[in-house]
Amino acid sequence: MFKFWVAVKKEFSVLIFDKAGLAVMFAMPVLLVFIITIVQDSAFKIVNENRISMLVLNKDKGTESRKLIELMNDSGLFDLKNDSSLNAVSFEKTMMENDFLTGLYIESGFSENLISKANIISADMMEELGLDNSMQDSIVKSFELQFFHDPVLKENYCLSVINMINAFLKGIEGELLINTLCDQLSLEESPAKLKKAMIDNATPVKRVLATGSDNKVIPNSTQHNVPAWTIFAMFFMVVSLGNNIVKERLNGAFIRLKTMPTPFFLVLSSKMFIYLLAALSQIALVFSLAKITFPTLGLPALTMPENTLGFLMVSFVSSLAAVAYALLVGSFAKTQEQSYGFGAISIVIFAAIGGIWVPAFVMPDYIQFLSLLSPLNWCLQGFYVLFLKGGLWSDLIPVISGLLSFVCVCLLLVFVKLKKEKII
Amino acid sequence: MLNLSIKTQNLSKRYNGADKYSLNKVNLNITKGDIYGVLGPNGAGKTTLISILCGIFSASDGNLIYYRDNLPVSFNNVQSIIGYVPQEYAFFQELSPLQNLEYFGAMYNLDKDEIKSNAIRILELLGLKKVASDRIITFSGGMKRRVNLAIGIIHNPAVLFLDEPTVGVDVQSKVAILRILRELNEKGTTIIYTSHHLSEAQNFCNSIALLDHGNVIVDGNLDELLSVYKTESLKELFIKFTGEDFRD
Repeated sequence: MFKFWVAVKKEFSVLIFDKAGLAVMFAMPVLLVFIITIVQDSAFKIVNENRISMLVLNKDKGTESRKLIELMNDSGLFDLKNDSSLNAVSFEKTMMENDFLTGLYIESGFSENLISKANIISADMMEELGLDNSMQDSIVKSFELQFFHDPVLKENYCLSVINMINAFLKGIEGELLINTLCDQLSLEESPAKLKKAMIDNATPVKRVLATGSDNKVIPNSTQHNVPAWTIFAMFFMVVSLGNNIVKERLNGAFIRLKTMPTPFFLVLSSKMFIYLLAALSQIALVFSLAKITFPTLGLPALTMPENTLGFLMVSFVSSLAAVAYALLVGSFAKTQEQSYGFGAISIVIFAAIGGIWVPAFVMPDYIQFLSLLSPLNWCLQGFYVLFLKGGLWSDLIPVISGLLSFVCVCLLLVFVKLKKEKII
Repeated sequence: MLNLSIKTQNLSKRYNGADKYSLNKVNLNITKGDIYGVLGPNGAGKTTLISILCGIFSASDGNLIYYRDNLPVSFNNVQSIIGYVPQEYAFFQELSPLQNLEYFGAMYNLDKDEIKSNAIRILELLGLKKVASDRIITFSGGMKRRVNLAIGIIHNPAVLFLDEPTVGVDVQSKVAILRILRELNEKGTTIIYTSHHLSEAQNFCNSIALLDHGNVIVDGNLDELLSVYKTESLKELFIKFTGEDFRD
């Protein structure tokens, strides 16, 4: 045991000497988690919490366009700026100059056309019911609302805004139709009652998180970014540990150790032990900072999973996977430059396809298939199960098994390579 | 000091994929107390021979036998009393000499107290006591060579293998290294060493093996060899057997 602790002490001394490696392992994840979470959180708020800033140019003189604007205003979802002094040409320019993300241009004749449309439908309905149709033939001109948006806005965001405007329009059109029908049927009672009844009968849609458990933590930028970037940084230990292995392989220290009465397994296990501790420290550091400091920065606090044992298991196997991958790169690289370059680039690629930057489910099918090859994806899946899906063991076991298999394959390849080099 | 001797019988080595033997039927007899020089031009097989003798590689053919008190023993039984000083700076330059000696001493199965006492004594002998706690990365080439040697002798080995221990060092470091090696030998350590410095080898060794193209051309007591082949120096003997052609 004395030998092992001396070896661990030596690995620790070598690690703390590598200031650049330490910075990559500890400062980088902290910075990344803070910066990316702040950036994503503000983007998340723009879409989900902030009111949509919209410039409105209403050229219509009728009541229906005013109703539409009122409804949008009352919904609390929009921050409308009405500017009737603009024209069709200056509208777009004003939008860009004043940083409006969206704009709505209502043409003149909008109300008239809506009323005409309601009259036609009402007349058709009366005719179908075999009732007298006192309406004169109406003519509906082709008309449209124009929705302008900043090119940076995502497609799904634009579609959401258009759908909201459509919903308000449908309400106005429905109300117009009811009013027209009541007129046609010479009903004295106000259609308000009918209108209210129609609205009250609308079937509500309840939003439920599909976690498979009672845990209903709302996903937010913190819950994604903290585990994701911690995993990224853990695997970036390939820079430090990979270089460490290459250096000791190439400078003859491994060969020298072979002449000594010490199994090489002890040398390797001391390295694994210290880097495993380093990876677990990364998790402890970043997760603690996220939990404690995020709320003070106005970011969502990290909600720790209820399955503590599962969390420890996933943290442990993820760290082990990072260590095993670094050992693999260090064993196969022929130079320190190769280890650094290949190690760093491979982690960036694994992160990209593994859903660290963008969740894997939004990627094309073939990339989603490729993401299964990324150990970072497996680690992330483990943390997703814990942080977002209730942490059920039935979901964790396949992830943990997959990661342990990855570790075994890496260590087997390390063994084969070192055996080939006569180090073991 | 333990009575340890080494015998090789038709020891041969062919690396994977190579069409020629790097060592071809080498027969040597190294006895306790020898300072044995393994000499030869580049590519002669010196490092391969030393690597097999100290257990880094296994031979393709032939036998390597260690004798302890004239009885054959397995390599595992003598591994802890063998020292090896490679040509490279095979240690951790981010650490201090003391930290390196602590690490390698433990790997040689020494306990904490033995490591401490041996390390202080050896560092003093090699003139490294003042810088014992400094990081080696700041040291000169000569100091690093001395650290390399210190690691190889931390456990008072019965047999010490050295692969060009004085290459690229200043005169002062070379003198210090050879002085320490001679002192070790006087205390009973058998030394097997390779070098390209033939005048140094002539002054230092009592026996030599001259290798070329993996074959031992001549071996035995150095004085006897010089007398038998009527040469005045090792350099003359070397050229006589290996010629003057380049070995590129």
